[in-house]
Amino acid sequence: MDIEKLVCKSPLHRSIVRFFHENQSSLDTPRGIATWVRGDYTHVKHALTELAKAGVLEAHEASSTIGYSYTRDPKIIKRVETLLNK
Amino acid sequence: MSVYKVNRNNDTEKIIEIVKTNPSFEKMKVLLGRLMGEFCYFVIPHADPISSIVHEANIPECRECHISESPSICKSEMMAAVLRASEKRVLQQFICNQGQKGIVHPIVQGDRIYGYLVVCSVKEDVPADLFDIFTAFTSTILEAAQKELELKKLYETIRPRAIALSTVHTLHRLISSTLDLSELLPRVARLTLQVMRANRCSIKLVDSKKKTLLPKATVDLRAKIAKLKKVEIGKWAPGKAVKYGRPIRGESYLATPLIDEDTIGVITVYDRTDSKPFTNFDEEIMKTLCEQAVIAIKNAQLYKEQERLTVGSIKSIAAILETKAPGTYLPKASFLKLVRLVGVELRLSEYELKCLEYASLLHDAGQIAVPDKVTKKRGTLTGKEYDLIKEHPKTAAAILKPLKSLKNIVPIILHHHENFDGTGYPMRLKGNDIPLGARIMGVVGAFEAMITRKPYRKPLAIVAALDEIRKNAGKQFDPLVVHAFLNVVKRKDILKMLRKEIYGHRKAGV
Repeated sequence: MDIEKLVCKSPLHRSIVRFFHENQSSLDTPRGIATWVRGDYTHVKHALTELAKAGVLEAHEASSTIGYSYTRDPKIIKRVETLLNK
Repeated sequence: MSVYKVNRNNDTEKIIEIVKTNPSFEKMKVLLGRLMGEFCYFVIPHADPISSIVHEANIPECRECHISESPSICKSEMMAAVLRASEKRVLQQFICNQGQKGIVHPIVQGDRIYGYLVVCSVKEDVPADLFDIFTAFTSTILEAAQKELELKKLYETIRPRAIALSTVHTLHRLISSTLDLSELLPRVARLTLQVMRANRCSIKLVDSKKKTLLPKATVDLRAKIAKLKKVEIGKWAPGKAVKYGRPIRGESYLATPLIDEDTIGVITVYDRTDSKPFTNFDEEIMKTLCEQAVIAIKNAQLYKEQERLTVGSIKSIAAILETKAPGTYLPKASFLKLVRLVGVELRLSEYELKCLEYASLLHDAGQIAVPDKVTKKRGTLTGKEYDLIKEHPKTAAAILKPLKSLKNIVPIILHHHENFDGTGYPMRLKGNDIPLGARIMGVVGAFEAMITRKPYRKPLAIVAALDEIRKNAGKQFDPLVVHAFLNVVKRKDILKMLRKEIYGHRKAGV
């Protein structure tokens, strides 16, 4: 799925992307992100996996958890910004 | 016309905005309309000096003013009432140039005026106590507006800090999950880049003997291959950060020392992705990040040290055994390699493989308690002699038990002569009750015994020994382990190794 479709897939996807776009230094677990975007943990986890697969987020895997952070690709950041401003 | 600068507190604007959009305020407007007739109504935010408001061009005009030939005069009456209200802080009435009655109600909380509610063209016969109700109502709305503003401020202040705190917590979890320095340091570097939004991160650790900083991990997003440079302590930003024990910051770099009891290294980030200079806030974040990193690095270093001690202990025991009777108590290199490869085939973790390796080295250490006349006997063993041999796993376990760091290898050694069908020794364990490491050693140990020359029998050819292993799968040996073992032994490099080690230059019987 391309980035545009994925970001607009659901309000939750959009909220997650907005959270990372506004807090670009953030690094958090799915549970933490679910708190920030006030989303259901399972749905947030699924959305995070999709967004990481598409390159919007970066997944940092460790034995006990996964941390997610925003992409560092300026082209993707620019595309996301345009989408969020629409 | 002269231009006056209006100074307004940022909060004033916000409070007035909240008051204006408050639904109760709208309801009050409707209520006032019913009581006071058709009126003109607006809110003017307070400003300092108060006289500056008078000159504001955007003060609305009531419908009477609008049709008036001299609206500015009309406004002047209203503004005079605003001035009075700001001084006396109570409701003021006025009559405009068009003869319309109006009121100015200051929006006051404590000693602070936020603005003025102006109502123009009100009925003549409005009862005086209505104004009291009006004042009380406005105060309630104002309090609600202030609370809302405070909550907003609190949210805006706390949320970024909470997000930063959560980031540090996640960072701690991610870097504490490994005790392997070679994995930990690049991970810390990558995560630092992510959190600091920088282009390059370098981690250097102190080499106290040479008084230099040795590069351990560098991640550079702009270069495919990162350059690793040694730095003398006291030179460049990383060297200075270590020397002075405090962060050294420039526009495009930020070096933060890793301080435990003493300085053990430095993390340096270079070039923010947004090209802005590093700030005090970045420095604070880096300090916190380094505090987390130094704990993880120290833990990994301690773990490595403990591992060295464990290996040292094993080697010492092995050396003592070797001096007593060379070649008797220690396994061949091929045995160690086969055990490890079968473990890999069975997808054991790196830690489990290490335990298996240590157990393999010492699995026959207990034979030290068996008299030489029994271990070197050429003929068949008597029942008593065999009982002595059967004691060796227990003896080895008893020797190693006091070494706490080896506690996980003791069960492997204790049970490596158990049989899958429960006919082995010392405890006649069955199936999966036998530790997997012991089941692996059982297969490899039996294979090695069969192909090795013994004082009382000739060695079997490799093919014959493999047949024997195959035949005993499910009886003496775990079929799963046998399957993995056969997969390993059919490899050409393994066969070559076995031929070389067991038969020397002679051709193996394969």
